[in-house]
Amino acid sequence: MDIILQVENLKKNYGKITALKGISFEVKKGEIFALIGPNGAGKTTALRIIATLISPSEGKVFFRGRNIRENPDFVRENISYLPEEAGAYKNMKGIDYLKFMANFYAKDSREANTFIERAVNISGLGERLNDKVGTYSKGMIRKLLIARALMTKPLLAILDEPTSGLDVINALEIREIIREYVKEGTTVLLSSHNMLEIEFLSDRVALIDNGRILEIGTSEELKNRYSSRNLEEVFRRVVQ
Amino acid sequence: MKKFSNLLKKEIKELVTAQLIVSLIFTIILFNFMGSLIKSEAKKGFEKRNIYVLDLDRSNLSTEVLNNLSFGNFRIKLVNDLIEKEDKNLAIKYTKENNIDFLMVIPKDFEKSISKFKPKEVEIYSFIRSLSMGSSIGSSLINQVIDAINRFISNNFLKSKFPEVDPEVLKNPIKSKEFIVVKDKLAEGSSSQVISMIYSQSIFIPIILMMVIMFTSQMVLSAIAMEKQDKTLETLLTVPISRKQIVIAKMMGAGIVGIISAGIYMLGYRSFMGGIMGEVGTSEITSQIIQKLGLKLTTSGYILLGISLFLAILCALALSTILGVLAEDLKSAQSMILPLIFLIMIPYFLSFFSDINSLSLPIKIFVLAIPFSHPFLASSNILLGNYSLVFYGIIYMLVVFIILIFISARIFSTDKVLTMKLRFGGKKLFKKAS
Ligand SMILES: Nc1ncnc2c1ncn2[C@@H]1O[C@H](COP(=O)(O)OP(=O)(O)O)[C@@H](O)[C@H]1O
Ligand SMILES: [Mg+2]
Repeated sequence: MDIILQVENLKKNYGKITALKGISFEVKKGEIFALIGPNGAGKTTALRIIATLISPSEGKVFFRGRNIRENPDFVRENISYLPEEAGAYKNMKGIDYLKFMANFYAKDSREANTFIERAVNISGLGERLNDKVGTYSKGMIRKLLIARALMTKPLLAILDEPTSGLDVINALEIREIIREYVKEGTTVLLSSHNMLEIEFLSDRVALIDNGRILEIGTSEELKNRYSSRNLEEVFRRVVQ
Repeated sequence: MKKFSNLLKKEIKELVTAQLIVSLIFTIILFNFMGSLIKSEAKKGFEKRNIYVLDLDRSNLSTEVLNNLSFGNFRIKLVNDLIEKEDKNLAIKYTKENNIDFLMVIPKDFEKSISKFKPKEVEIYSFIRSLSMGSSIGSSLINQVIDAINRFISNNFLKSKFPEVDPEVLKNPIKSKEFIVVKDKLAEGSSSQVISMIYSQSIFIPIILMMVIMFTSQMVLSAIAMEKQDKTLETLLTVPISRKQIVIAKMMGAGIVGIISAGIYMLGYRSFMGGIMGEVGTSEITSQIIQKLGLKLTTSGYILLGISLFLAILCALALSTILGVLAEDLKSAQSMILPLIFLIMIPYFLSFFSDINSLSLPIKIFVLAIPFSHPFLASSNILLGNYSLVFYGIIYMLVVFIILIFISARIFSTDKVLTMKLRFGGKKLFKKAS
């Protein structure tokens, strides 16, 4: 299988705080790869570096073989990043938000329309897309943003805690959308602090704590290795 | 370019909220309303006023005084025969009933004491029915009445003592002739009139400046702070568009919307000021003197002033962009703007109340170091022909702007745009549990 993303010994300091102490992992084309770990583990920091938002203190990231620091434009054109707890412009209608975002990625208006149509389908928001984002619930906003992230069929979608803060039903719907979309060829790198849900969603997981990756593997592998019933138990054993 | 215009369009749309439109419309209506109100009140002030008079003396002098008073802005009416009895209280009551604003009572023995050079008190009653501007103008009439009486009586005295001399010459033995010199130009006229006319014509320049600068900087500041508060900035920073374009789109959007809305406010303000100033009127002679002295802004003068203002706006935009990055949300952005407003207020007030050249050197340097000072100083410097100061100001602002834009583009392309002042509330839940 192709390696689409390669992270090598990434370190990040915020002043005195060391958020990442050297993490390495690879993401294969077409898989759902999850960084899981408690709050403050360094997940967001790692994803932000990969999304070219911030620069690492040390280490390298390769996206399709290219160093992201030297090719930030290439990265931005080919990924979609959904920030943690992201919002959308409140005074815009949902549909206008999708149009606005599509225009950054589309070559022409035909392609933009394809993107928008796809986003309308993914979001499942129907008529509500004609309402202002300010009137949306948390779950609706998240669906809108997920749709926006996936509509361009990016080579890599980076989703930071895509289901956090949502109720069971909405979280389930989001997970289904993500699963559905990987079938169409997108690779997903996501993060979560909810270890149980990740088991059902991702192909491979990396357990991250305190700026270090402790384990990488499929959930089955990890559960077997630590003879645990679920990932939460795995995590507890690993940390001990 | 297509991406940029997409972004710029969004920036403008985000700023033109229903709230902004409503407040613009409201302000214009308010200004217009106040303007026409003031106009009509001012007119009232200039209308002829009725004054009732109760003459308890009925002497030659009092009759003569009253006959000579019926000019100017007041109309005299004797009430002696209109009330039952020549009584002060009855006269007051009668005046009140007839909705007249003033009553003058000439006391008994008025002529007798005056002829013995003993001042006698004339009583004047003003009936205040409202506290509007019109009634305050009206009350100044009382002084005019008293002046007129005094003038009449003293002129009479002088005439009887020195029948061959004009009493006015006796009172004012010298005459004056005033000239005004500006640089190498000279004209005959009153300097106080000229200055007050220039002042009234250019009073709105610092106000426009102040408004435009505050508006635009407020806009860009809140545009950035909103992106942070609504958590949209992070997404925007990962779309395929350069950081420089993001910064410029924000500034341009705020600049365009800010200038337009300040312009609309100004129109409203002009019609409001028109209400006040229009009635005072500008005399033809004074404006000719101003023309002769070159104290009028020429086209190139306006262009210079425009450039100066434009650069000040750019500086304000760039500075606010930096402040916006520092702000966590809209609320803190609003407090961030305080130091900026302070920087604008200093030259604003100075331009009204003092001459920068009369300040001590350290204060002068401090004021000139504020980029916003320069457009405030520009209009009078252009009028007075001190072009070099205006040019220095323009160059200075240009340098400041370039430095500021460099800093803000820098901040936008580093981690700082996300990490500056951002709070991280996430507690390490799992760590404690394990
Ligand atoms: N801008 C920042 N300034 C200072 N410390 C930060 C900043 N961002 C993150 N951190 C710290 O880095 C660590 C990792 O944070 P983060 O990557 O957000 O973790 P996670 O997403 O796993 O919850 C935490 O200790 C956090 O406090
Ligand atoms: Mg996080």
